[in-house]
Amino acid sequence: MTSPTSDLPEATEHRLEELEKGLFTSDLSVNEFLLIKEVGFHPVGFVMGSSIYHTGLQTRKWSQSQELTKLTEAMYNARELAMTRMEEEANELGADGVVGVRLDVNYYEWGKDAAEFIAVGTAVKAEDGVSRRNQLGKPFTSDLSGQDFWTLRQTGYLPQGLVMGTCVYHIAHRGLGQTLGTTGQNVELPNFTQALYEARELAMTRMQDEAARLGASGIVGVRLEEKSHQWGSHTIEFLALGTAVTKTSENVTLPTPTTIISLDN
Amino acid sequence: MSVPPTTPRPRLRDEVRHALFDQADRVTASAEARATTSDLSIDEELNLHSIGWEPVELVSGVSLHSIPFGYWNWGQGEIEGASMAHATAFVNATTHLLREAGAAGGHGVVGVRIDRAVHSTFVEVSLVGTAVRPVNRSRRLERGVFASDLSARDFTMLMVAGWEPLGLATGASFVFAPRRSMGAAIQQQSQNVELTNFTEAMYSAREAAMQRMQEMAIEMHGTGVVDVKVQEGPMSFASHAVGFVALGTVVRLAQAAHRLIDPTMVVALDDASVAFDARTLS
Repeated sequence: MTSPTSDLPEATEHRLEELEKGLFTSDLSVNEFLLIKEVGFHPVGFVMGSSIYHTGLQTRKWSQSQELTKLTEAMYNARELAMTRMEEEANELGADGVVGVRLDVNYYEWGKDAAEFIAVGTAVKAEDGVSRRNQLGKPFTSDLSGQDFWTLRQTGYLPQGLVMGTCVYHIAHRGLGQTLGTTGQNVELPNFTQALYEARELAMTRMQDEAARLGASGIVGVRLEEKSHQWGSHTIEFLALGTAVTKTSENVTLPTPTTIISLDN
Repeated sequence: MSVPPTTPRPRLRDEVRHALFDQADRVTASAEARATTSDLSIDEELNLHSIGWEPVELVSGVSLHSIPFGYWNWGQGEIEGASMAHATAFVNATTHLLREAGAAGGHGVVGVRIDRAVHSTFVEVSLVGTAVRPVNRSRRLERGVFASDLSARDFTMLMVAGWEPLGLATGASFVFAPRRSMGAAIQQQSQNVELTNFTEAMYSAREAAMQRMQEMAIEMHGTGVVDVKVQEGPMSFASHAVGFVALGTVVRLAQAAHRLIDPTMVVALDDASVAFDARTLS
């Protein structure tokens, strides 16, 4: 299953070869492992991708709300690089998908503009031999846990891909006049509200666009994260993340849940 | 008012000596009729009993391995001395743990807590877990004692599904991260670029570590490694060196086929945890 366009390091290829011979590695817990088996998938390998990325500079105007396109681009590119490398490893293993994907950003002492973007997950393959890859012929990716994956499969849905949208936004400071004018009053701060709204909308829209490209019918488990990273309090990254899904079979086998009251505290 | 009866003061020295001798006896004596020690919770113990296993003894293994002075200094490629030290310390600690478990009559050690630290001059590995064995002791040990960092609950689930743990596999690699030249750093100041040399260093550490873990797993005749935990990043005492450590439990299918566990769907009616706290608004 070697693809000619693969740019993975040689050592990676060697490690993956060993995995193809039947050994699997997985960061799934035992419960997750058993649940994945329960829905007819077998883990094939612990896959990862990473990129250490230097983000450029962009000037911000103190009193202007604006998207910092250069930083947005950097956050996008770096994550995309890490994700693609992880997908490539999964592809190399002949996997149908990757579950339990975690995306992390780590800042180290190499300089405050350099960060490591890392994506890790467990590649899985259907045991019945039928391909469960997404529309683009690539392994699907999903940040759902083993438990969530089991539940999703019981309802006839299949993940198509981990989709994300990001937007780095600079929120304008309020002028002294404005601050004094509102002291002692109950009043909405429209410039803050508007800026936050716009940034969130941009991130969400981008995420939905990615899902549309995969031909998905919905996005589940969406998380909206707001982080300032190293940029100070008025520059915020809005990151929307979720798993795009489509319905692949009509029969819902999810049993009626039993309600329990646990007696431990 | 009566004077409370005075209890004789405990003679500490004798107590300690007694405890030490007792300990020695326990290791050498056969595994008959003695109290068991374990750090398992009641639930976990019941879980174990449900598949016919029981705890025997709390066992531990510790190993420290030195890294000669100067290994972290400037260099290129992998810091083999450090990687080796980590591997040796881990193997030694595991050997101590398994020996102690074997002497206590255990067939395996579950719930192993792993405390690992890499210092500039030494690597420290300490393992503590509960030795377990099948209740029916006539069953002879067909293979070596296993160690696993899976909890007793996970161990039970694994056995129920027809799998068995074989041991702990680990791989570590420490690599020098090349520095960017001053010129390159200035040039890239305002750009969005990938720092390929750092990425490559990270990759080579990662691949070597994962590879070593896989080789250990293959050596144990395992078919998989579950619950792999990874730790990565620059060393706290040498930021120009990156380390990558992977750790997991090697498993193998023990029965003819995987047994489905057939989960039941439940909805807990417990009170939801507090998701919103007004005090966070400021």
